[in-house]
Amino acid sequence: MSLALPVLAAPLQVPALLEPASQEHHVGKVIFVELVTPDLAAAKQFYAGMFGWTFRDIQAGSAEYAEASLDGRPVAGLVHKEIPAGEHRQPAWLSFIAVRDVDATTKSAVEKGAKVLREPHSVPDRGREAILADPQGAVFAVLASSSGDPPDVLAAPGEWIWSSLIAGDPDTDAAFYQALFDYEVFDLSSDAGAQHLLLASGDYARASANSLPANRPNSHSHWLNYVRVDDTDKMAAKAVALGGRVVVEPRIDRHGGKLAVVADPQGAPFGLIEWPDTESKEVSQ
Amino acid sequence: MNTLSGPRPAIVCMIALLALLASACAGPGYGYDEGVGIGAGYYEPYGYDYGGWGPGYAVGPYRGGHGPDRGGGGRPGHAYRSAPASRSAPSIPSGGRSGGGRR
Repeated sequence: MSLALPVLAAPLQVPALLEPASQEHHVGKVIFVELVTPDLAAAKQFYAGMFGWTFRDIQAGSAEYAEASLDGRPVAGLVHKEIPAGEHRQPAWLSFIAVRDVDATTKSAVEKGAKVLREPHSVPDRGREAILADPQGAVFAVLASSSGDPPDVLAAPGEWIWSSLIAGDPDTDAAFYQALFDYEVFDLSSDAGAQHLLLASGDYARASANSLPANRPNSHSHWLNYVRVDDTDKMAAKAVALGGRVVVEPRIDRHGGKLAVVADPQGAPFGLIEWPDTESKEVSQ
Repeated sequence: MNTLSGPRPAIVCMIALLALLASACAGPGYGYDEGVGIGAGYYEPYGYDYGGWGPGYAVGPYRGGHGPDRGGGGRPGHAYRSAPASRSAPSIPSGGRSGGGRR
């Protein structure tokens, strides 16, 4: 009797986060992001046009991966994955949050109500990672980078600078993430506005936790990452010109600069945020 | 005493292996699988809204050091532990990158 076993894809040889490696570790920091997209070529064209990212293709078997870089520094990974005919799927950016021990963090997350979407596993040169959905359904990954974590420096335009957790109940979600990453939690909510919490570690702000907009019953908890730009209006218009769309129109945010949310041509949302180099520089309004 | 010999244990092992492989490829409704061999392969559920931010909806960090209007010691009754009242909300890193190349 002969029996054909399923053939598992060979693991891709993705690059280390840092070369040369460092000894820095910043638990609770979003240290990497990955996009899964049904059209890798179109995604590369879009993000190259938006931010000047360049790409290095990595292939193993049928798996296609592109490492995105800006000025020689890796900024993201893009993964091609077909969407089966007749199915609707939403491309998304996946946030990787730094931890020291993926297995222990995963165990703790599950004890606090998270679901494991992919069990802890080792990725050659990258480290150990797992993918989880928090108790409210927002998906994130944890990564213990074997080459250390990126340093705490100001992101350059075209690099990721900020992250938000948009959640049905930011209060309890903040407690969940605080238990995992030992965040300090600051309440920045305005008296009349939605809940706005700030999650910090290592004396730096790492992310916000915000309420889902009340007027959108068909929304769900999710992480959203932001790229630093010099001119949000211009970049939002550019996203549209390149085939994307505007999800949240440019608006003044707490920090005084403009912020917008756009989606790439395949629908993956991400934010644009102005951030001056110096405190004294005024942001045009 | 039973021993692990003959065809039956091999068939049992084969079935167990197939079941394990099948469970490893099953997604929990997020469109996730392990086919690409690395972390991604994840799609969000389809059909949700991402916008709808009303006036006053703020997500960004403070700029320029520490926040001026509210820090730790938030309102009581939270599920999380508030930062101490003596702490003011920090901002994002502001320092420059010293080296070049890959970070």
